[in-house]
Amino acid sequence: MQIPQDLIDTAKLKLKSVQSEAEFFQLRSQYLGKKSYVISAFSDLKSMDPKAKVLAAKELNILKGKLSKIFEDALEFLQRIDDASALDVTLPADPYLVGAEHPISKVAERVMDYFSPLNYQVFAGNEIETDFYNFEALNFPENHPARQMHDTFYLNSKSEYLLRTHTSNSQIHAMLREPLPLYMLSPGRVYRCDSDATHLPMFTQIEGLVVDQDVTFGDLKGIIINFLEYFFDETMEVRFRPSYFPFTEPSAEVDIKFGNNGWLEVLGCGMVHPNVLKGCNINTKKYRGFAFGMGIERLAMLRYGVNDIRDFYSSNLDFLNQFSS
Amino acid sequence: MKVQYSYLKNFLSTDLSQAKLADIFTKVGFECELDKSIIEFDITPNRGDALSLRGLQREFNAHQSKKLKDTLSYSKLNFKKDKAVINKIDSTGCGNYNLMVIKGIHSIKNLDSKKKNFLLAAGVPLINPLVDLGNYVMLEIGSPMHVFDFDLLDLPINVMFKSIEKPFQAIGGDYKNLDVSSLTIHDQSGVQAVAGIIGGEQTSVSKKTTNIAVEAAFFYPEKIVNQARKYGLATDASHRFERGVDPTIQKKALERFLFLLSSVAEYESVNSYEGNSKPLKLLHVPLSVDRFNNFSGLGLSAKTISGLLENLGFDLIITKKPMLSFAVPSHRFDISLEEDLYEEILRCYGYDNIPIKSPKIGPILPVKAFSRAAQLRLGLVSAGFMELMHMPFVSDITFAQLNHESWKPARLLNPINEDEPLMRGSLFGSLFRAVNANIKKGYSSIRVFEEGNVFRQSAKSFIQETHLSGIVYHHENMKTWGQKEWVYDLYSMKANILQLIQTIGVSNIQLKKNLSSKVFNLNAIDIFSKGKKIGVFGEINLSATGKLLKKTAYGFEFYLSKIKNNSTASSIKLSSKFPLSSRDINIIVSKSHPYHSIETILSSKKINYLEYFQLINTYEGPEVPKDAVSYTIRLVFQSNKKSLSEEEINGAIAKTLELLFLATGAKIRS
Repeated sequence: MQIPQDLIDTAKLKLKSVQSEAEFFQLRSQYLGKKSYVISAFSDLKSMDPKAKVLAAKELNILKGKLSKIFEDALEFLQRIDDASALDVTLPADPYLVGAEHPISKVAERVMDYFSPLNYQVFAGNEIETDFYNFEALNFPENHPARQMHDTFYLNSKSEYLLRTHTSNSQIHAMLREPLPLYMLSPGRVYRCDSDATHLPMFTQIEGLVVDQDVTFGDLKGIIINFLEYFFDETMEVRFRPSYFPFTEPSAEVDIKFGNNGWLEVLGCGMVHPNVLKGCNINTKKYRGFAFGMGIERLAMLRYGVNDIRDFYSSNLDFLNQFSS
Repeated sequence: MKVQYSYLKNFLSTDLSQAKLADIFTKVGFECELDKSIIEFDITPNRGDALSLRGLQREFNAHQSKKLKDTLSYSKLNFKKDKAVINKIDSTGCGNYNLMVIKGIHSIKNLDSKKKNFLLAAGVPLINPLVDLGNYVMLEIGSPMHVFDFDLLDLPINVMFKSIEKPFQAIGGDYKNLDVSSLTIHDQSGVQAVAGIIGGEQTSVSKKTTNIAVEAAFFYPEKIVNQARKYGLATDASHRFERGVDPTIQKKALERFLFLLSSVAEYESVNSYEGNSKPLKLLHVPLSVDRFNNFSGLGLSAKTISGLLENLGFDLIITKKPMLSFAVPSHRFDISLEEDLYEEILRCYGYDNIPIKSPKIGPILPVKAFSRAAQLRLGLVSAGFMELMHMPFVSDITFAQLNHESWKPARLLNPINEDEPLMRGSLFGSLFRAVNANIKKGYSSIRVFEEGNVFRQSAKSFIQETHLSGIVYHHENMKTWGQKEWVYDLYSMKANILQLIQTIGVSNIQLKKNLSSKVFNLNAIDIFSKGKKIGVFGEINLSATGKLLKKTAYGFEFYLSKIKNNSTASSIKLSSKFPLSSRDINIIVSKSHPYHSIETILSSKKINYLEYFQLINTYEGPEVPKDAVSYTIRLVFQSNKKSLSEEEINGAIAKTLELLFLATGAKIRS
């Protein structure tokens, strides 16, 4: 028995143009009714020899099953369209507000998302801090001009207190308290007595610190480049440029090539200064460390194309609504 | 430091382009910005030695693998010691003091245009050719100089720390009261200069000057630092002395001045004098080649290391393999440790040439529960709240409006805005302003929150706590297209808050009426968990907003450090196979008994089979006394062992009514 192979395809094609249930049933009787090819083929089986009969019957049953399923599905679809009780699902939803985390939070989380699988512990730090943790323990001697790099807010009536000028204070708390090796991250707000279109008196930093055996400058370079490529989601041209921070030696500023802007500074880093390690009772013959710190606003401005740093603290819902997706 | 490209190029004897030069200096640690024909160098505070053409030349040559050679011309001087000219020098503040007296100066001309343009490009104003020449030598070789009108000086000179009664008049005319911590230059009539900072008006040169005394001295950085700032007298000289000036170049500076003077003026005689000085001792710093290579990940030879350092002026003193020892040149105040030498080697070798390693992984950490703060934040975002961030500075008025009278604020000594000298004690001040600003922009439905620290003084220190606070302001007049009313009231906020804290797994919550917060009015509720207050929510007290909010708003405040992670799993009750049976009761209760007292009875587990209950309606009207309210409460009963009979259910209802009557006087509403 010759069974036409295109029966299913033609049935599907014809079903597509069906507009009503009447048209549907008419078409179904053509394919599955008494006079249809399939049903009349079953009657023809009687005249066949037993072996060929079994094979043909099997094929016909499969074909009938497939056709029946196609027509069942098509009918269900047709009935769903025609159901008068169905709602217009395209009408708007009831009013709802879409919330969003602040872009600074989003960027800080993205930074932490990179370091957390590398087992960096997260520590919060004090914003009101003593001179010891903010400067002295970080190798800023009293009266050193390096302190002039940080325009510091001081607290009245308790002269040893200030608003931390960087998150590096958390390094000291962690090194004095935690066992080694130490892999840590500390996000938070920092303060400088300075304000214009590119500087705010408060901004957000994330500090990273590793103290372990056999840590090298190559390790520092490796993690910074890897992190930047993760953060910006592309292969980056990265430049390490010698710089100066009292708490690292050697120190470097890290620049990236971003868009058409040439080199842009994105973070500072270096090997932890031995005076800092010794001050935290760490055996510098056994352990070394590296540290890095980055300004989150800077990263957020690059990531989202924000030109004015003040927008982040403007409370402008028109601006912030854009971060809801 | 700003330098004209053309001048620098000639000084360095190079043909490299401005961009290429800037790139080289940036790579060795002096970030450059280009502005037309000028290169501006960012000289970090540890590198006072680079604040001159000579210093930049040393770095450039080292990059080109060459040592510095002095190619400048000098007029040789013989320095004499004469107590009638330089008498006492306080050696704790002054390392050496030299004076060159030039008499009979005449035919004074301006500096040539190249030098003048070089000075102007560097931001050094032209004052008088004799003074300009001193400034030029400072920029050229790094030694600040001061030129006195010799005829106005009453020799001998003393350099000392001494309390001064009379105010000192600095060049420019300002009077300053100097204290004993300032090193000062005295002649016999009083203070004529503040060491390393500025000269006095009284002995300054003028057009009439014909005889001068040129000072070149070395003052210790630690004695100069912060002095200029203290008096508001920051100068190019103080900038250099604070960072360290090479103590070996002062006499050469005077010889250079004299040499250049011949192109500016004619003179009759020169005498040069020196005070007593301390012999200079160069510091020796050891360096282990192995340690360096282990530190850097490189494999440099002792020869390569020595070569790199020698180009910077370090002298190799001892080679005892694997140890080297280097004498630190007198211009480098920033080198005292082996690691300081590592930095010098690496920046000359090039940070870019250090091989990169794959990121290391830290030790395995104990598994920590997802922080409550993070969960709360996510919950709020899902509920349509927008996160805000603000500066934490507030006014005295705002602090008083929002915080308890007993709280002492954390006050800044040097606020950026004098109207906001305090650190915030509450997040609500800026949240009110934010809502107000957005109402003005036309928003009528606002949900915002902020997480941040709040501060106050304690007896010995400061308290800083992390709060998470938010506001709902909903005055949307529109109904939905389906004509459904969309209102937000205290109970909507209560639903938001309970949903939030129960979802994050805070257990054993108790709610109590808040009576103490200034931010909220009487319609506010404290949230307790395990006996600790973890937050508060309710209707905002509009008078606390300083007229920023004029219509009803709701707020909440969580104290994040008080919300603990619940690590123990609660045991699960077996679910019943038997059906639930619900019955509604209508009761009338005096308003003197809040709903909470009914809840307490129904939750007391004294009623058999009562699985849960639900308030489904409240009513006040003609059938209810004025001082009472009618509640319809749905009671849902279930047993673990059997299907409940009507009798058993009625018995439980009777018990319920009895308990409610005893506790509150509640009666059935017929």
